[in-house]
Amino acid sequence: MTAPPETTSAAPAKASSRGRRLATAALRHPAVVPIGAVVLALLIGAVIILAAGLDPITAYTAVIQNSLDPGQLDYTFSVWAFICGMALAAAIPLRMGEFNLGGNGQLVLGGLTATVIASSLPLPSIVLIPLAVIGAAIVAGAFGAISAPLATRFGIPIIISTLLLSPVAVAVVSYLVRFPLGEAGSAVAQTTRLPEGARMWALGDLSYSNAGLIIIVLLMVVFWVVDSRTAVGFELRVVGANRRFGAYGGVRVGRLALGAMAAAGAAAGVVGAVIVMSSPFRLIDGALISPGYTFAGLAAALLAGGRPALIPVTAILFTILQVGGAGMERSADVPRQLSDVLQGVVIVVLALRTVLDQRRTERSSA
Amino acid sequence: MVSRASDDAADAARPPAPAEGEAAVELIGIGKRFGSVVANDGVDLVLRRGTVHAVMGENGAGKSTLMSMLFGLLEPDSGEIRVEGRPVRFAGPLDAIAAGLGMVHQHFRLFDTMSVADNVVYGAEPRRRGLFGKAFVDRRAADARVRELAARYGLDTDPAAVVGSLSAGARQRVEILKALHRDARILILDEPTAVLTPSEVDSLFAVIRRAADAGTTVVLVTHKIHEVLAVSDEVTVLRDGRVTGRFATRDASAAELVRAMTGRAIAEVKNPGTGTPGETVLEVEGLSVSDGRRTVVSDVSLSVRRGEIVGIAGVSGNGQHELVAAVLGTLGVAAGRVRLAGADVTGASVRDRRARGLAVIPEDRRGEGSAVTMTVAENAALGHHRSAPIGASTGIRRGWMSLKAERSQARELIADYDVRTSGEQQLIGSLSGGNAQKVVVARELAHQAPLLIAEQPTQGVDVGAIGAIHGRLLDYRAAGNGILLVSHEISELLALADRVLVMYGGAIVASFTAAEATTERIGAAMAGAAAADPTEASDAAPDPAAPDLTAPDPTAPRSTAPHPTAPHDGDRA
Ligand SMILES: Nc1ncnc2c1ncn2[C@@H]1O[C@H](COP(=O)(O)OP(=O)(O)OP(=O)(O)O)[C@@H](O)[C@H]1O
Ligand SMILES: [Mg+2]
Repeated sequence: MTAPPETTSAAPAKASSRGRRLATAALRHPAVVPIGAVVLALLIGAVIILAAGLDPITAYTAVIQNSLDPGQLDYTFSVWAFICGMALAAAIPLRMGEFNLGGNGQLVLGGLTATVIASSLPLPSIVLIPLAVIGAAIVAGAFGAISAPLATRFGIPIIISTLLLSPVAVAVVSYLVRFPLGEAGSAVAQTTRLPEGARMWALGDLSYSNAGLIIIVLLMVVFWVVDSRTAVGFELRVVGANRRFGAYGGVRVGRLALGAMAAAGAAAGVVGAVIVMSSPFRLIDGALISPGYTFAGLAAALLAGGRPALIPVTAILFTILQVGGAGMERSADVPRQLSDVLQGVVIVVLALRTVLDQRRTERSSA
Repeated sequence: MVSRASDDAADAARPPAPAEGEAAVELIGIGKRFGSVVANDGVDLVLRRGTVHAVMGENGAGKSTLMSMLFGLLEPDSGEIRVEGRPVRFAGPLDAIAAGLGMVHQHFRLFDTMSVADNVVYGAEPRRRGLFGKAFVDRRAADARVRELAARYGLDTDPAAVVGSLSAGARQRVEILKALHRDARILILDEPTAVLTPSEVDSLFAVIRRAADAGTTVVLVTHKIHEVLAVSDEVTVLRDGRVTGRFATRDASAAELVRAMTGRAIAEVKNPGTGTPGETVLEVEGLSVSDGRRTVVSDVSLSVRRGEIVGIAGVSGNGQHELVAAVLGTLGVAAGRVRLAGADVTGASVRDRRARGLAVIPEDRRGEGSAVTMTVAENAALGHHRSAPIGASTGIRRGWMSLKAERSQARELIADYDVRTSGEQQLIGSLSGGNAQKVVVARELAHQAPLLIAEQPTQGVDVGAIGAIHGRLLDYRAAGNGILLVSHEISELLALADRVLVMYGGAIVASFTAAEATTERIGAAMAGAAAADPTEASDAAPDPAAPDLTAPDPTAPRSTAPHPTAPHDGDRA
């Protein structure tokens, strides 16, 4: 009696004599666009590799082999966790239909806060490490939250304000790392190494994976529980599905946006804190941004449609691209920037879908 | 309201000659299932050229599904469709349009931000030859085309108006123009009158008759028997996906149609008028609302007491909806006060107002009253999700939701209101229109709030369900709650309201007690300034009754022209 929504909403799967009809029916399935985006990205990537006179099969094999290399799993897992964390920063607001494009700013502010706390407070690790993580979450969360009143009070869309505020935070942190907080005498713009007591607890003798990654995974679980089991999560989904319906039903949309943006910023801040408290245990100018976790996380969140249960899966895809990209460069001579191109294509296709959806919902109802 | 106006209206408007065109459309043995739900089962339907064919049936009987198949939106599982003698298989609506069909959907499909002309020609634009070949839409030609069609069929429209600013009736006309622009010879109208006021219905029917007389074949889906009797030539009745009756309209009676639809006779529900109203639950004082350009609600004062149903009549677009939005708190007020159960809530949030005992059945079910991409259970839970049994307002479970309770509540609601669905996990957007409406009504009634605002509560629901909902509204009143009932259906107001206020140009222009209210008086007041004086409206009655004293004195000199601009101190959102 409880047919899953997918089967009731999808067009009939019955064999049809008309290929066109069947095609349109199949195209309406909710999984088509995300999977199509990935396939399209891989095809475009293949064309680019071919155009460069190289072999796409070799390149893609290298990607897979490299990212799933057992010796590398420790590293791969850490990348996956960071992408998950940044996916969280995008997915929480996405659930209510808002786009957080300010992940980078939130990320670096988190990293900066954790660095400042960890290097200046003489506390035992058991207090210092949580304090640094929490401090990073608070500062980055507050920064993310600014966008909510900007939207409610001044009508500046969150997608715009996050995009515009982020470079400001990045520039400020970059300045601080170069000058007031920079390590004296170093050629690189970086802070001094964090004291031993402020380094994230390692997991056994793994060199990349540490307790910080567990924190990020726990945050994912929390989001999943909040999303599916609590009143706030329900309101988030209602507003995402139909904002007017939410407002009519008594959801305080402005407050919800404030909470969602604060939570998103906090998630990014935690990622920043974990990164600086992992090897090489310092804040290096640009090092938080250059791996592209923010973009990969945004792509993973979009691909998952913001659904918490799907994010770990879509994050795997971008982890493979990210980690495997380096291997591809080594063994197939394809520049790793290709993985950025592939991510870009996925985002463009998904964004196109969003635009088309909006165009469709713009049509009025009685 | 089932049979009342039917017979006389029918005699007046029914064409004298029997319908005798050749078949324009034949549907033969059409079947359609959605999972376990059989929406259509061996349906035969013949539409004759130049006739108006009404399709009736309860909510979920399969009318929209049948029409969607005819228009190529869905593919039949079985059966054959012939258009003008030729068997056709439409892969999509574009094929259907090419074959000469046009459809006006139960829910409007227009671009709100675009002009009437743009909407009408969308997808079949006249092109302008220029630097880039025929890349650009010829707007002048589009405007001219809309004007020409509008004049030919008597559809009063301004091609330049933005669709979002139009009333439901005007949007309906845009939808029809859209079909006519593409030279539809067969016009499908799915519940075109659900959101129209009586005068809009009349002009729509004039258009339908004119089109039919010019040779257009019209299929009209509707729940309203008097409309069927007034405008159609033939009637087909569906029940549970099967044809249960075929009638030539001139041989059909309202009772027969109801029996074919529901299998039983329907009792009419009427407010007994017993009981004395209790304390005031809603008090609106000098309320003005501006939409930024003009005042849409001007200086409205009214009150609703416990145990009382106050009706608001008016042609749509005369400020009723904005009044409701201002009371609910989704729209800011320019001046005036709103009090719920004595407490001033003028600046309060929607949640605070609802917490004080307010429930609202909104007019725009798909835009405001539901989230079509969520399940029936989720849609039924909004507003109940922070209180027992689904949520909890205090204690350790505060802020948590029980999915089990959410589902079981929804199952109860489905059973109570006879919602036809495959289960509480079905998406509400895939429910038939009337069944979705029942979910919204049920959700809001479940609050048992001292004040219920019901805007078009029976839109799209079938005769049987109208009776059931009316019965529930009266029970709600009898339980000591107040209801503000906004309706386009004068018959609905007459059946339910203890008092009827009439809105025109944003102001309340007349007020009648149940005893004074008649279709003629309300209709006259709705039509505007000339009839705004109730004493004039009541001249025809043997006993010219005094205006209701609890409402603003309608005979007092009124400063409010149709679109008055009351002085106000800026928006207080
Ligand atoms: N896309 C769909 N998925 C699942 N069930 C559907 C879908 N469309 C329609 N149905 C079901 O088919 C049945 C017939 O629906 P339909 O919309 O044709 O009814 P209707 O006669 O138009 O009713 P109403 O008067 O309420 O508009 C209903 O039980 C409905 O729930
Ligand atoms: Mg229908």
